[in-house]
Amino acid sequence: MADQTFRLPDLGEGLTEAQLVAWRVQEGAHVDVNAPLCDVETAKAVVVIPSPWAGTVQKLHARPGDSVAVGAPLVTIAAQGAPASAEPAAEAAPSTLVGYGPGGPEAGIRRRARVAPSAAVEPSTDVRAAPFVRQMAKEKGVDLAQVTGSGPGGRITKADVDSAAAPAAAASAPSTDGERRISVVGIRKAIARQMVRSVSTIPQFTEFAIFDATNLMAAREQRKASGRPMTPLPYFIAGVVKAVRAYPLMNSSWDESRDEIIVKQPINVGVAVNTSQGLLVPVLRGADKLELEAIAEQSAHLVDGARAGTLPPGQMSGGTITVTNVGASGPVETGTPIINPPECCVVAFGAIKPRPMVVNGQVLARSGAWISISVDHRIVDGALATEFLTALVAELESIRA
Amino acid sequence: MADVVRVVAADDPVRPLFSPAGELTADARGTLGLSPDELRDLYHKMVWIRRTDQEALNLQRQGELGLWGPYQGQEAIHVGTVAALRPTDWIFPSYREFGMGMCRGIDPAEMLTLFRGLSHGPWDPRRYHFAPLVIPVASQVPHAVGMAMGSRFKHGDDVVLSTFGDGATSKGDWHEAMNFAGVFRAPVVFLCQNNRWAISVPLAKQTAGSIAERAQGYGFPGIRIDGNDVLAVLAAVRAAAARARQGDGPYLIEAMTYRMGPHTTSDDPTRYRSETDLERWNVKDPIPRYREWLQGQGLIDEASLAAINREVETAVEATRNRLKSAPVPAAGEAIFGRVYQHPPDSFLEERQEFESSLESN
Ligand SMILES: Cc1ncc(C[n+]2csc(CCOP(=O)(O)OP(=O)(O)O)c2C)c(N)n1
Repeated sequence: MADQTFRLPDLGEGLTEAQLVAWRVQEGAHVDVNAPLCDVETAKAVVVIPSPWAGTVQKLHARPGDSVAVGAPLVTIAAQGAPASAEPAAEAAPSTLVGYGPGGPEAGIRRRARVAPSAAVEPSTDVRAAPFVRQMAKEKGVDLAQVTGSGPGGRITKADVDSAAAPAAAASAPSTDGERRISVVGIRKAIARQMVRSVSTIPQFTEFAIFDATNLMAAREQRKASGRPMTPLPYFIAGVVKAVRAYPLMNSSWDESRDEIIVKQPINVGVAVNTSQGLLVPVLRGADKLELEAIAEQSAHLVDGARAGTLPPGQMSGGTITVTNVGASGPVETGTPIINPPECCVVAFGAIKPRPMVVNGQVLARSGAWISISVDHRIVDGALATEFLTALVAELESIRA
Repeated sequence: MADVVRVVAADDPVRPLFSPAGELTADARGTLGLSPDELRDLYHKMVWIRRTDQEALNLQRQGELGLWGPYQGQEAIHVGTVAALRPTDWIFPSYREFGMGMCRGIDPAEMLTLFRGLSHGPWDPRRYHFAPLVIPVASQVPHAVGMAMGSRFKHGDDVVLSTFGDGATSKGDWHEAMNFAGVFRAPVVFLCQNNRWAISVPLAKQTAGSIAERAQGYGFPGIRIDGNDVLAVLAAVRAAAARARQGDGPYLIEAMTYRMGPHTTSDDPTRYRSETDLERWNVKDPIPRYREWLQGQGLIDEASLAAINREVETAVEATRNRLKSAPVPAAGEAIFGRVYQHPPDSFLEERQEFESSLESN
């Protein structure tokens, strides 16, 4: 057994970094060759990295959300069958492709080319630059040994020579007046892309209603008394599922390329979860096949997993309708949710609280909450949305303990 | 004028084998004359090339390959085509026909050195009658026609097959090749793998009409077939090649299929296509489909399926290991080595300059 460190390769022709999205393994876990290790997002795509070796995961070198440079250590594995070696882990790194990894171990063509018979080269002249860059440096009087290369493998680029030749000019970054620039990567970028896609392609409208939550709260009280407490979320999900069953068009997608509406068979409910990394929407699959208890159990698992960053991406896609509990964490009455494409409908629940309601001609203090739905007007007109909302309200108001 | 079209239709040995929807008829399927072993071998090869494709994808993610272009979903075409041809018939592939190369007997580990940046394609094309993979879209199509003309001038009876994507049919090279082949009745089979995408450009934005029917305008027949049925591909290519071999000229086969993976490892198809499309094509996946057919015919049992999987796993692991220990050539030789048979002085000077820049580095 020897520890081998796997460094982030260039996954897409000339990339310099990737963001770690999620680990699929933990330290101490055994992995086989090609077992999925983690998901990373590059400037080009989100990809799964499979393990290059079989063995035990010794160390994860990055956390979800971290930006990892190409060539930087990603994971150390005590690899099975690898000879035990006195060399430190970094030295045992395997050959990756040429030019990979600023600062990473060099391997392949370049290293071998330099281990030529005439290897009597002083270490200080170990400068990496293309011939035309060397020529340029000579002309501008720049000593390449003093320049830090920003190119792949620490190679000195034309731009490096330019700025070394004119240090004053290079230092003049635009004045900022205290603003800060945050590079948009990973989940933020995915959210942005998804939201732009929604508002720029889906003509959506929103309808509101208040429902009487007295029965729902009574049911919760009763469960609490018998030691089986439940949050409102499972009730919301179950209500939405029942209303969708009556109005299947709410569970559909618009297929622009074929001028068709795809009515989805299973009801997969996306649950909007606020996490430290941003909004995530894990998906409760086949919610129409689940009893309330199972909905409660599985949705809690999804919410926890999303917050902990341990859900595989597969569990965050494939939703057919989304539920968002906007009243869960503050005094928010309601909002105008944005559809999560390619879905047709998103349902937002506000805070349940006592409010004056007219019952049998009398004003009474009852528990109530706002519901708002945003729907794709290409698929659903106001009349149908109203029917759906009416059914949803009726479902929630008729909850029995 | 209408006569031209009628003549073309009369002299078409492929069309009678297919229904109007491009499905191989039950009669034609029954008269292919393949032994049970041969039928099982087609399955074995499809599983092998798919598993190798997946392994190449893994190797790219592990930093062992610079780039990879998956062909998942197109295995029936790769396997059926090679099985339909004689080993001496030439194949001119694009960049995605790795599986065809494997079926021609080229060591996949050797072929992968191309994607590892160690070679420009190390196999001897003359030995395998398999031309180098080419990146410039459609450039292989005129090459194939040229080779077919050569075969005719030599009075040989080898035919040439050129394969390309739907995107390639929009290129001028493609038109020139088709036209030339039609005029000179070159013994060439054009095989379009219509996988519905050219990177992110969908078929609907590629061509407004039918690709297969364009053949008529060039004076030879064409047909659109189910490219996810390995026996349909085999039957069509075999009949088209036989026709070309007996001197009746070119044929265009448009095999309908689907690129199930990304264009290459640098591509993210979720940005331009929906999962529902993929689900639709999953149902037509050539491998389970053919497996079910074999099972229905009583030609394969669980034990032989398991044996095939084991054999494929062993082969793939060996490929992986051979690739990782492939020798790294000296950079000068790798870049300059195979350009000229008799390099001019200026070229040698350049090579020398490059090599000394490595040493002083
Ligand atoms: C002459 C040329 N133009 C553009 C490209 C970039 N390019 C690479 S693959 C490709 C799409 C080709 O699509 P298609 O012919 O349908 O084949 P597929 O990739 O689907 O197998 C393009 C445009 C290229 N390689 N060569």
